[in-house]
Amino acid sequence: MATLQDFTGYAPTWCPGCGDWGIGMAIKTALVEMGFTPSSLMVTFGIGCSGNMNDFLNAYALHGLHGRSIPTAIGMKLANHALPVCAIAGDGDCYGEGGNHFLHACRGNHDIKVIIHDNRVYGLTTGQVAPTADKGYPSKSTPSGIIEVPIDPLSLAITQGATFVAQSFAGDLKHMSEMIKAAFNHKGFALVNILQPCVTFNKKNTYPYYMQRVYKLDGTHNPQDKISALQRAMELHEEKFPLGILYETTRKTYHEEAMNNVATPLLSQARYTDFEALSDEFV
Amino acid sequence: MKYTWKIGGEAGFGILTTGSLFSKIASRRGSYIFDFIEYPSLIRGGHNTYDVTISDTPVHSLKEGVDVLICLNKETYVLHKSKLSSTSRVVYDPDEFTPEEGVIRVAVPFTKILAELKGQVIMKNTIALGASLAIFGADLTELLSIFETQFKKKGAEVISMNQEFAKRGFDMVIQNNIKDIIPALQKKESGKKIVLNGNEAFSYGAVAADCRFYCAYPMTPASTVLTTLAAWGKKTGMVVRHAEDEISVINTALGASFAGVRSAVGSSGGGFALMVEAISLSGITEIPLVIFLSQRPGPATGMPTWTEQADLLFAVHAGHGEFQKIVLAPGDQEEMILQTIKAFDLADVYQVPVIVMSDMLLSEAHKSISFEKIADFLKTYKPNRGKLVATAEHGYKRFAVTDDGISPRLIPGDPNNFYQANSYEHLEDGHTTESDIERIKQVNKRARKMNGYLTSDFILPTVLGDLKQAKTVFIGWGSTKGVFLDAEETAKEKGLSVAFMHFSHVYPLSKEKLSPLFADTTKKYILVENNSEGQFGKLLRMETGISIEKKVLRYDGRPLTVEAILAEA
Repeated sequence: MATLQDFTGYAPTWCPGCGDWGIGMAIKTALVEMGFTPSSLMVTFGIGCSGNMNDFLNAYALHGLHGRSIPTAIGMKLANHALPVCAIAGDGDCYGEGGNHFLHACRGNHDIKVIIHDNRVYGLTTGQVAPTADKGYPSKSTPSGIIEVPIDPLSLAITQGATFVAQSFAGDLKHMSEMIKAAFNHKGFALVNILQPCVTFNKKNTYPYYMQRVYKLDGTHNPQDKISALQRAMELHEEKFPLGILYETTRKTYHEEAMNNVATPLLSQARYTDFEALSDEFV
Repeated sequence: MKYTWKIGGEAGFGILTTGSLFSKIASRRGSYIFDFIEYPSLIRGGHNTYDVTISDTPVHSLKEGVDVLICLNKETYVLHKSKLSSTSRVVYDPDEFTPEEGVIRVAVPFTKILAELKGQVIMKNTIALGASLAIFGADLTELLSIFETQFKKKGAEVISMNQEFAKRGFDMVIQNNIKDIIPALQKKESGKKIVLNGNEAFSYGAVAADCRFYCAYPMTPASTVLTTLAAWGKKTGMVVRHAEDEISVINTALGASFAGVRSAVGSSGGGFALMVEAISLSGITEIPLVIFLSQRPGPATGMPTWTEQADLLFAVHAGHGEFQKIVLAPGDQEEMILQTIKAFDLADVYQVPVIVMSDMLLSEAHKSISFEKIADFLKTYKPNRGKLVATAEHGYKRFAVTDDGISPRLIPGDPNNFYQANSYEHLEDGHTTESDIERIKQVNKRARKMNGYLTSDFILPTVLGDLKQAKTVFIGWGSTKGVFLDAEETAKEKGLSVAFMHFSHVYPLSKEKLSPLFADTTKKYILVENNSEGQFGKLLRMETGISIEKKVLRYDGRPLTVEAILAEA
């Protein structure tokens, strides 16, 4: 069985106190507890502080372009669905630059696990506003405050067809790894949005800010109830943050519908060679 | 002898189907064809035409002029009468109009037949097909059997109704114009021939090369690769994804290729432009990918349904930073099949993006080719996946520095290893680096890959005619091959001292191998391109120092012609 050490690559370069440390540890903990090894899964990274985890987490990985961790993950899953596939990205990465991919991946119910570091700011480019920031949030790129209202990723995912939508908090290691495990155990598109303080550039959404506003969903919340899930998700606009599985349902995954023969991964299937028959279409 | 048949009518009334049926039937009867459709970027309204040149010998471009004009409306006659000669047959509806003197008139009362047999307007096409086959001395065997297959599900009544319309058109010609028949489509024995356009050729090549994943977003004139491969999916097992945009398209394909499956994407200029950042990703991560780029006139939306070769320099330079790529530009359907297969091999062997270029002319024009050569090739063809491995020793390094610059590529899943393909500059094991020494190592490693390509896989231009003797040498690339082949034939007939060089391996170019071909400075070298700037000329000069001053350029959205080229000889 693999250990935390097996998944550990280079020492992280995140700022001391950054929420990414907790997220990185939660991912590794979940992977170990699920019995994975670095050779038994594929991971995609976007670009940003979150994407820099490429050097800190051992796995078969593709550290691609800003905003594109979801499409690369989709391609991996279609090519070899025998391996679990996880996309690790930031809020600007996934909801800004890659927003279009995000909502269409929800629609497709691609069997990928999407873990978002939601810190409401652009850290790696030193403090511009993110699409998750509250209206009026001042930043280097919006000195008079951001004009747009924040994107609501959980509602967006639920309404666009995601089959698993959860939220967690970077200050709660155990909760994060539980949510990540639940996402991996779910068959279909799974979003885990992790609220993450950026101690360097975001002076508003700090650890104390979240400590006062997060709460855990209990047995009274029914994740099968879409309307109730949406109501919880939209508490974002009242600065209340439910933690846990907001929504979960079942639907056939994209690769199950797209493949002729889902019993064998595309990678391992026999080559098609009936070229004569195919050419008859042109006679 | 070559003859050009042209049918015209209102867009949305089945001209495309009718034209391609005529091509198929001509090929089944043993003739060779080349066809081309002209249509505006509309679904209904506007004027559509479909031209088919038929011949007993292979034909590579449309023969100028019109020998048989099928007018489904008066507009067809008005717009194209300038292309008629005294021997041209004009099929028209005497209740609608009568052509002027000076052509051979073939009256077919479409409106009356429709009224009598209670047919919809679209059935005019069927009457026209029957009449066309009669004019060329064919019988209706192939057409009647096509209807039987095509309308099998719709039942016997629909089959016999269609057959009836075709017979009426056929009988009209036999009854009234039997002396005007051109016996060009009498049944001839020939080996298996296939009639396909460039997009179908790319699709066929992709399947043959064992491409298992194709991703695209529709864009004219590349869309039919997506629809063709999707239609074949149940048979071939290929997974075809119509993604939300071209950025998703290429990144999805790179994910699939990373996981070990041969993958391809396709688009036209605008969609290709959206893919450019990820082409650069393919370069640094050394993930193989085949990109089909079918050009149309730009900039921006340009003229979507017309033809141009104006994206060559864009393709060659697509992507930020310095990295390796290969650009191929097959000249016709046969080359498109064979070079598409080669493109997948090159992508795997050199671990680079390979762009296969087409344009509206090649993508949409059908041509009949002998299947024998393709079949022979496929009998022995095995995909060459280069240094792809399923397992490796523990401690494997994805970007290991090697003499030929190519590192073994491990399919993810080997239980002894893991690695990352990294868009940042990286160490041999894939981890990010900003070290000056490691940077230079990786840049040089990647660059060395092209030495192997230029030595072993770069193909010199195809030479038509006697290059040594010729006073004038025409140089072209991509879809101009067709018009070169026909121009060579015409030049021979006229006794012109010309030769042609057709490039299909357009980037990178080998100075060493190409210089001898341009050594004789007493010759007149003329560049022939379907664009306004002579882009291949610029590329040739950039890569080899060879400079060609004289040019035949066409950039009105229409294909080049034999006449325009030979006028410069």
